[in-house]
Amino acid sequence: MGSSEKRPKDAMNDIPTFSAENLQNNLKVIQNSRTFLSIIAGVLAGIIGFTGLTGFVFYFVVMLITSVGLMAKAGFSADLYFDSWNRVLFDGFLGGLMSFVLFWTFAYDLVHIF
Amino acid sequence: MNLGFVIGVFGVLILSHAAYSTIQYRGLLKIMEEEFSGPTMNVVLELIIGLVLCMWAALTFPGKFLSIHPDSDENRAVSLPDNSDFMIFNHRGRLFPPEVNMKF
Repeated sequence: MGSSEKRPKDAMNDIPTFSAENLQNNLKVIQNSRTFLSIIAGVLAGIIGFTGLTGFVFYFVVMLITSVGLMAKAGFSADLYFDSWNRVLFDGFLGGLMSFVLFWTFAYDLVHIF
Repeated sequence: MNLGFVIGVFGVLILSHAAYSTIQYRGLLKIMEEEFSGPTMNVVLELIIGLVLCMWAALTFPGKFLSIHPDSDENRAVSLPDNSDFMIFNHRGRLFPPEVNMKF
C-alpha cells in the first residue's frame, strides 16, 4: 500500500485512506506487548502451580487485562490508531497462547519438579 | 523507553526471586513430608507486584501508537526533495490560478 500520499485533486472524495506504515507500527507494538505478557503469564502460572484448565483460564484473564490496558493506551478511540477494534482486542491472542504454554511448562518444571 | 525497560527488569527480578523462594519452600515441604497446596503469602504478594510492574512495562516499552489519519498534524508528507537545486519554477505554470487549498 505504501506510505501516506494524497494528491490535492482527490482530497475531496477519498475517505478510507490511512498511513499504512503507522498502522504496521501500531500492530507491531501490540504484538510485542502481548508476547511479552504471555511469557510473564506463563512464568507466573508455573510458579503458582496451576495444572490443567485453571492455567488456561489464567491465561485468558491476563489477556483480557492486556486488552483493557491496550485500549487505555489507545485512549479508547481506536479510529485514531487502527482500522478496526478487532485488531486491538484479538490480534496475537493465539500466538501468545503457544508462548504461554511453553513458559508455563518450563517454569513448572523448574520450580516444582527439579 | 528507558523507564519502561528498567521497570520491566525490576518486574522480572521480583518474579525470579519469587520463583527461588518457592523452590526453597518446596524443599522445606519435602523435608517435612507435607503436600504443596499453594505458594506462601509473601510469594503471592511478590507475584502480584511483579505482574503489575511487568504489565506496566509491557504497555510502555514497545513504543507509542502513531496516528494513522493522513490529515493529522504529525503525518505531514511534505519535505524538500533532494534535487531542489535543479527545479525551475519560473515557467508558464505560474500563470495558472491556484485551485487547491494548500495546508502550510
